[in-house]
Amino acid sequence: MTALGAAAIAATLGLFFAANTRLRAANADNARATAVSAAAFDLRAHVVELSDALHGVIAEVTPNSIARWHAAEQSWRTPALQLEKAAADNVLEQRRAQSLYDEIESYITDYGDLIVSIARFSPSAVRSSDAAEEGTIRLDQIASDTDAVARTAAVDAADRTDAASRLAHRASVAGTVALILTPVLLILLGLWLARLVAAPLRRTVDAATSVAAGDFDVRLDEHRRDEFGVLGRAFNAMTRSLSASRRELIERADSLEQSERHKSELISMVSHEVRTPLASVLGFTRLLLERNLPERDRRRYLKIIDAEATRLATLVSDFLDARLIEEGHFALRPELFDLRSLVLEQAELTLAHDESHELELNVPETPLEVEADRSRLAQVVGNILSNAVKYSPAGGRITVGAAEAAGSARVWVDDEGTGIAPEHREQIFQPFYRGDAAAAGIPGTGLGLAVSRRIVEAHNGRIGFDPIDGGTRFWIDLPLGEQTPEPQAA
Amino acid sequence: MAASTLRPLILICDDELPLRELIKAVLGDGYRYVEAEDAQQAEAALAAQTPEAIVLDVMLPGKSGIEFLSELRSQPVDESIPVVVVSAWQSAEDERAALGAGANAFIGKPFDPKDLATVVEALIAA
Repeated sequence: MTALGAAAIAATLGLFFAANTRLRAANADNARATAVSAAAFDLRAHVVELSDALHGVIAEVTPNSIARWHAAEQSWRTPALQLEKAAADNVLEQRRAQSLYDEIESYITDYGDLIVSIARFSPSAVRSSDAAEEGTIRLDQIASDTDAVARTAAVDAADRTDAASRLAHRASVAGTVALILTPVLLILLGLWLARLVAAPLRRTVDAATSVAAGDFDVRLDEHRRDEFGVLGRAFNAMTRSLSASRRELIERADSLEQSERHKSELISMVSHEVRTPLASVLGFTRLLLERNLPERDRRRYLKIIDAEATRLATLVSDFLDARLIEEGHFALRPELFDLRSLVLEQAELTLAHDESHELELNVPETPLEVEADRSRLAQVVGNILSNAVKYSPAGGRITVGAAEAAGSARVWVDDEGTGIAPEHREQIFQPFYRGDAAAAGIPGTGLGLAVSRRIVEAHNGRIGFDPIDGGTRFWIDLPLGEQTPEPQAA
Repeated sequence: MAASTLRPLILICDDELPLRELIKAVLGDGYRYVEAEDAQQAEAALAAQTPEAIVLDVMLPGKSGIEFLSELRSQPVDESIPVVVVSAWQSAEDERAALGAGANAFIGKPFDPKDLATVVEALIAA
């Protein structure tokens, strides 16, 4: 596009230059032709003077007529030389001028001087018609040649002037066209430049403004092969990195916010969880101190105090575990034992505290040996069982099972609770996460499953849950006894 | 009706069994008791009989004690039953909420046995 515009402008300028050169040449030709014509007419006058002087001598030989002849004999040379000079640029005209000069020279030496010499001695002889006729013929020839030179020059000059005028006309037409075309071309050039530079620049500015306003999803064309392509790639890399950073920040903020919320829920929960058993302990203790109660009541109240104090102790122990696990201090004391005995023991403990659920046992007849930290595993099974009790409706059935499955020892607990909503499934093993439990008024710290998972994983085992028909199954898979689990600090 | 009907009936609504036991032990044998673990059970108990007083916990599973109390006070039959709210929170805010919802007394846990006994006696006598 640029090249096309430049070529059009250059061609127009070239045409103007050529026309100008030709016009100047034509002007010079014209001037020369004028000079040639003028010199030719001047020379013709002198040739006429030569003829007249000669006729003067022929008519009467006097010193005057002789002198006139001699003067005429010299005077024609100046215009003849001028003619030659004027015709110097044109080879043809110059040749004609030279031949004219030679003709005149020859007329003078071969005819005029001869006639004048004869006239001095015999004036009557030169008056003969022959001699006179010879002179007239020669002169006519000279005159005709002189005219021819002047005419040719004039015609030639006219031709050149015409050609120059035509060219000038063409140049002026071309100039006019160029004058009209140039702004059009300039507009086209501007549009093209705008498309090439201004539009992508504007898009870049718009995109940068969007980024400044917080929209990091804006992208530039990065497939262009020019500098805008390079800019686009760099820009997009920047916005991609910005979006990623922001996403990360939002996620981190969300997770912090969630963690804060969990902690705040925890504080509420702790104060309730601590105060409720503490209220029982204090209340019954004061009652025992203030009143004289029958032995039967005393024992019953002391049992409640014991149970509630134990509940407090468990709560405190859970917190200590959570702290220990968070800080990474977590030592296992593995021993080989039958998992069935642990399951039975925990089931009995649960039954002792809960009369509102039906507990069903499903353990194999052969021992199920594992090498593990017995008290830690008891904590895990106890936790899953107490969850089953807490989250099952009164009267619901809870099934506890143990079996060897796929090379592992599995313990499972089925409840008839409402199940775990999909939105909570990923998070229930997170510390302090309680899902909807707090809102439902179900007591707990949100630590049980988190602690359980750390314990099971420290045994190279797995803990998980599956929805089952009418409830949820929580399970623990542990390596069988012959495989030695590596005691480790998690 | 038997002579035992002369003893006033008290509805205890608390989800914690030990606390229900404690309240019964504190108030002693001078009353008859009906127990509820949550608002739903309490409503069922109220539909069956009208107690002389209600001892209500704030923190109940499902509907809270305060919500239950507000609904109770909007029913003409039940609006005159004296209610003692017991709460684990013992905060001024909870006390305001309880009294605002129509409680006759508020006792924070851990409570003194004598306080609860005195308050309930006074409310039933009034």
